[in-house]
Amino acid sequence: MPTVIFQLPDGTERKVTAASGTALMQAAVSNGVPGIVAECGGNASCATCHVYVDAAQSGLAGPPNDVEDEMLDFTAAERRPTSRLSCQIHLSDALDGLVVHVPEEQV
Amino acid sequence: MSPLTTAAPGAPVVDLDLADLRRDPYPAYAELRRTAPLAWVPSVGRHLLTRYEDIVQAEKLPEVFSSLEEGSLLLRTVGPNMLREDDPNHRRLRSAAEPPTRPRQVRDLWAASFERTAHEVLERIAGRGEADLIADFAEPLVAANLALVLGLRTASAEDIADWSRAMMAGNSNYADDPDVWLRAERATRAIEGAVAEVAEAARREPDGSVISSMVHADGPVELAEIQNNVKVIIGGGVNEPRDVFGVGAWALLNRPGVLDRVLKDPASWKRVFEETARWVSPIGMYPRQLTQEYEIAGVTLPAGSRVALVIASGNRDEAVFERADEFDIDRPHRPHLAFGGGPHFCMGAWVARHEVSAIAWPLVFSRLKGLRLAEGATASDSDSAAGRMDGWVFRGLTSLNVTWQAA
Ligand code: FES
Repeated sequence: MPTVIFQLPDGTERKVTAASGTALMQAAVSNGVPGIVAECGGNASCATCHVYVDAAQSGLAGPPNDVEDEMLDFTAAERRPTSRLSCQIHLSDALDGLVVHVPEEQV
Repeated sequence: MSPLTTAAPGAPVVDLDLADLRRDPYPAYAELRRTAPLAWVPSVGRHLLTRYEDIVQAEKLPEVFSSLEEGSLLLRTVGPNMLREDDPNHRRLRSAAEPPTRPRQVRDLWAASFERTAHEVLERIAGRGEADLIADFAEPLVAANLALVLGLRTASAEDIADWSRAMMAGNSNYADDPDVWLRAERATRAIEGAVAEVAEAARREPDGSVISSMVHADGPVELAEIQNNVKVIIGGGVNEPRDVFGVGAWALLNRPGVLDRVLKDPASWKRVFEETARWVSPIGMYPRQLTQEYEIAGVTLPAGSRVALVIASGNRDEAVFERADEFDIDRPHRPHLAFGGGPHFCMGAWVARHEVSAIAWPLVFSRLKGLRLAEGATASDSDSAAGRMDGWVFRGLTSLNVTWQAA
């Protein structure tokens, strides 16, 4: 099972382990990671599950899909080249050790 | 699972008068959150779930808290529709209807027309020096915008607003008034006719609208499905943005200091929007029906139990929002529940945010010089009890009379 690390705005971090196939958003929400609001439950329509993939790993998670790319223009915190919607990232062994940063604001 | 129309064993029973709820539901909600966060309310025929955390928990479990509620007023008013469906059928319909309401489409496809319409509607009243901003501005504006996004080219803004009112009344017809049903039925017939006509045209010539998007969806969508879902969208699509506009404008007109700051920092209109939706949620509650036994708020609900997620109450929960009854655009940010959560997250959220906070408010407050509440329209002791707000299933200002210096 892959493990991912959420870096929180207050400087602390949360390690979360979840089954392959789980959406990163889901892994965060089920483990009570603060700052991942996920209002729409993973349907890429709310933009409140925004994360920044660690710059050193941007290749690992890949680029956003089309619908996601559109929503990323409307996140509460600024969009950066490493921005993704965590509901559109699905965990796999290849993502083991992924580090993502949770933005200050989601809505 | 057929619906249970009685209290779950062990659930507290609380009598609430529907007329009191309409006038001001917030004191009753505060009491429920304190003493009976899950309570059977006989006049509503449902368990009311009133605490923020419990509502969020229920929203995250759509397979337990099903949207497929039997005998719901909404089903009776408009027929089967995506609001009263679970995935995968809900998802099929939502995916078909949603693309024109996504934020980039709103910006690229609709914003310019929204803006033009807002100027036109405002010009009609600008020289008068007084108006009811609900009836004379907000409602015609959002109805026209909705007709555009839906693709209902043959319907006037007035048609849309009338249909919406008639269906909304049906959808909250807990008193079972036969006249209300009759009006709702007339409206839904008219919508069915209008949609059939437009759908036919959109089949030949796609126009980016919701109806067109449903006609051309990957998975097949029947005409009746398009008709029913357009009804639901007309139902919610007028009153929600209209009511956020009205309540927010009213809150600011009662708080000149806050208004001043907002006018100097236009980026804060967004915060005004979210705080208004939290403070007086245009949709106060929505129903769910349990697919299995489940314990929540200290009560074990049997399968088939009917529950109302009272998001208006969750949005005033002191455990989450300090001084929750106050309108405060500077409050520490916690997500509100006004758009609902999970797969049914409000499809019109991006349209409403744009038309109200990017267009309607800034325009009204910059164009109408010296805008203020008309005599007798200022807040009395408490904002929500001032007598100009009405409703608990849906809540908003019934009128907003203002004056300004007509140049
Ligand atoms: S959960 Fe709503 S966009 Fe990801």
